Amino acid sequence: MMGKSLLTCSVAALLLGTGSLAAQETLKIGVADALTGGAAVYGLPQANSVEMAADEINAAGGISVGDETYMLDVIVYDDKANPTEATNAVRKLIDRDGVKYILGFCCSGATGAIASFIGYEDAVMLVGNAAERSITTQGLTNLVRTRPPADYTGAAAGAFVARQGHKRVAVLGALETSFYASYVEAFEEEFAKSGGEVIAHEVFASKDRDMSPQLTKIRAMDPDALLVVGYVEPAAFAYRQSTELGMDIPRYGFTSGSEEQFLRVATTEQMEGVWDLRPTELTLQSTTDAGLAYHEHYLERFGDAPSPSSPYAYDQAWALKHAIEAAGSVDDTEAVAAALRDLKIFPEAVMQYRPVNGKMFDDNGQAYTANGAFQWQDGHWVFVEELPSDPEAYSEFLSSLN
Amino acid sequence: MTEILQQIINGIAIGGVYVLIALGLTIVFGILGIAHFAHGSVSMFGGYLTFFLAAQHGIPLALAITIALITGMVLGVLIELLAYRPVRHANHINAFIVALGLTMMVEGANLQFFGAEQIVIPTGATRVFSIGGVTLPELRLYVILAAAALIAAMTIFVEKTKTGQAIRAVAENRDAAILMGINVQMIPLVVFAISTALGVAAGVMVGSLFAIAPGVGEGLVVKGFAVLILGGLGSIPGAVVGGIVLGVTEALAAGFISSAYKDVIAFVVMIAVLLLRPQGLMGRA
Amino acid sequence: MLEIQSLRTGYGPIEVVHGIDMTVREGECVALIGANGAGKSSTLKTICGLLPARSGQIRFDEQDITNRKGHAIVKAGITMCPEGRQVFPGMTVMQNLRLGAYARKGADLDQMLDMFPILRERAGQAAGTLSGGEQEMLAIARALMSQPRLCIFDEPSLGLAPKIVAEVAETIARIKATGMTILLVEQNSLMALRLADRAYLFEAGEIVLEGTGAELQTHPEVVKAYLGH
Repeated sequence: MMGKSLLTCSVAALLLGTGSLAAQETLKIGVADALTGGAAVYGLPQANSVEMAADEINAAGGISVGDETYMLDVIVYDDKANPTEATNAVRKLIDRDGVKYILGFCCSGATGAIASFIGYEDAVMLVGNAAERSITTQGLTNLVRTRPPADYTGAAAGAFVARQGHKRVAVLGALETSFYASYVEAFEEEFAKSGGEVIAHEVFASKDRDMSPQLTKIRAMDPDALLVVGYVEPAAFAYRQSTELGMDIPRYGFTSGSEEQFLRVATTEQMEGVWDLRPTELTLQSTTDAGLAYHEHYLERFGDAPSPSSPYAYDQAWALKHAIEAAGSVDDTEAVAAALRDLKIFPEAVMQYRPVNGKMFDDNGQAYTANGAFQWQDGHWVFVEELPSDPEAYSEFLSSLN
Repeated sequence: MTEILQQIINGIAIGGVYVLIALGLTIVFGILGIAHFAHGSVSMFGGYLTFFLAAQHGIPLALAITIALITGMVLGVLIELLAYRPVRHANHINAFIVALGLTMMVEGANLQFFGAEQIVIPTGATRVFSIGGVTLPELRLYVILAAAALIAAMTIFVEKTKTGQAIRAVAENRDAAILMGINVQMIPLVVFAISTALGVAAGVMVGSLFAIAPGVGEGLVVKGFAVLILGGLGSIPGAVVGGIVLGVTEALAAGFISSAYKDVIAFVVMIAVLLLRPQGLMGRA
Repeated sequence: MLEIQSLRTGYGPIEVVHGIDMTVREGECVALIGANGAGKSSTLKTICGLLPARSGQIRFDEQDITNRKGHAIVKAGITMCPEGRQVFPGMTVMQNLRLGAYARKGADLDQMLDMFPILRERAGQAAGTLSGGEQEMLAIARALMSQPRLCIFDEPSLGLAPKIVAEVAETIARIKATGMTILLVEQNSLMALRLADRAYLFEAGEIVLEGTGAELQTHPEVVKAYLGH
């Protein structure tokens, strides 16, 4: 008698206990990104933006699944944009921390390493700024990416530069990095359609700071325009040194660097007139209310303006919230991955996504944003016009690569 | 033709930086027989310090550079006294290990004080001079002039002053130098002060022409040793000729062969020179 | 002028000079003779501060200079013209000579070049390019540049052709004639004893014989062992 009542009591206590916990559970999500090293300019703001999104989601009541509410808890590891470090970070997240949703991923090398094994894991991977095309051509159903591949933008840039009437363009860039190379390849293909020709492919490495020899060589070829493709720091030196060599041809580029980043290296006079042909990303002049709010909150919280590419990661967190709610489960990663692919563009999104078949991500898990032509005018990047991009056509092309 | 001239001009400014680094390494090597690996990192410290004073505290650039040069001299003296002197009479491997440890320490200190982000020293020198299609940016002109002035000052110091001659004497024959009444305990201090000041000047040049970031100093010291081997170990004219040759070769290689192999080609030239002249361009057989 | 008492010195764990006493008076030319390894050069190096004394005392001009730093000893007025000449090979003849006057008020360069005309001819040439004999002259001239009170010659004839040896001997004789106090170590015992007012014979780190140059030249032991008659 005594024993039985004790048992009943403890069962009741157990039920009560889980019941009270069920009202507010914690969902751990992971971020693997470059917090230090050369790529930290991309990675750190992404990691920040995930934490900010998580706090906003929690403040707005968390993620509702059935009767339960999940509060997000973000675990961040530094992958230094290095494949080995990234592998360690993700293994730690999955194996030790029991995380099933991994966000961040600013850079292609590290991201590619994770993509190579994520298909075998009970986890969902959301890629941000990493632009290497092959990340979304491997048929990975548990991976999505918020940033469009570089060649999607490169093709639009090629059409834009051709429209400016140039025929002979010289390229200087980080052509040993495959996503920059794919940007240039798509640029060249599109540019050739209007009879244009790329007359030089000069290379710099991410650590190079003296591009004078390459620029001197280009200057001697007398091109109509220059296209600089690569990370901000070397690109900024390339722009500066092009003026030091007295080159006054139009300069186009693909760097996504902020004003501060360029002004650390070059003067605003040296930058005057430079074009950046890139995904629109966060541009205050053309952004939505969500973008303005994002900028304001980020500035308030971190004391720095957010990098233009950081919302790729912010949008990951909100996409994940909506997908989990749509799937009705935090544990069934397959259902959540499927829900991501079925997701419509949501109002919190900061980037200006272009839907494919009415959805945010296409069958490859790839999202598309608008591309823009920005020009440096009087110390600022000015949004001039949207580039002629075609996400539906590109999505079909991407599917054909699977 | 314009292109070749332009490439040579491009290379000379870089070569000037190499010369200053190599001069600092060569006088230390000549006097103490030490491969002073930490030289690049100490040089970058000077560049960082200049940036810190000029860009972050608004001190006029010339004054900031002067402070950095003097700090460099003091630092050089301390490095000799505290790091190298205690192992002066020990096996050479000890000095080698001290040099490596010192490199890590200075790199770590730079990272701690100045952070991991690259810095560029703002100079405001943005004019461009053009003569018959060959352009020379104002800043590069200053770098070339400053390097030339420092090389000249160094040459005059070594050849014409008593202390300079004493330094050479110690480098050529330490025991005989003692017999001349030269205080051989003092000379290394002077040498490290000069060496580090030259390094700081190079650091300021790298920081204003290009950028300073973790790892840049180590890369530069490797180039410096390449210049030393190219020009002849311990030889001052060798460091000057070797530095200019390396800078111009790199520019020409990048311009006419491929920028991707810039560093490789420079080292190929170094090996080729060594095959023909094992003692280096200006070294004694 | 120079007094040495019970001096012991050596390299590392090995003692090579086992307590010697000797003196050099002002204006005198004193020679140290003996076989290789007898301790003559070690004694000189110890006087000049290149090798530390283990015990004993070295007094110069009534002052204890035992184990002073080399440069301080030069400043006090002792200069050595070292074995193997030890010129600075990459520096010019003129630069070598000027270094001779580094620590003290130097001799008149012009007079020195009058004394060594070959050096005037070679003034701008790197010392390393001179012949052995010319280098020896340079080393001697360089030592004299500091206007020393005591000039020490360590094996000045070593490795030179016989004709040059005679020239060196003549030069030292000329220096002696100026009243310079000289301490000379020389393998060529005959040359040394002819130049010397007095001499000490070293054997295995000890002084075994002392006398005037003339006395030792005819001493049977010296004749048998060192003069090779």
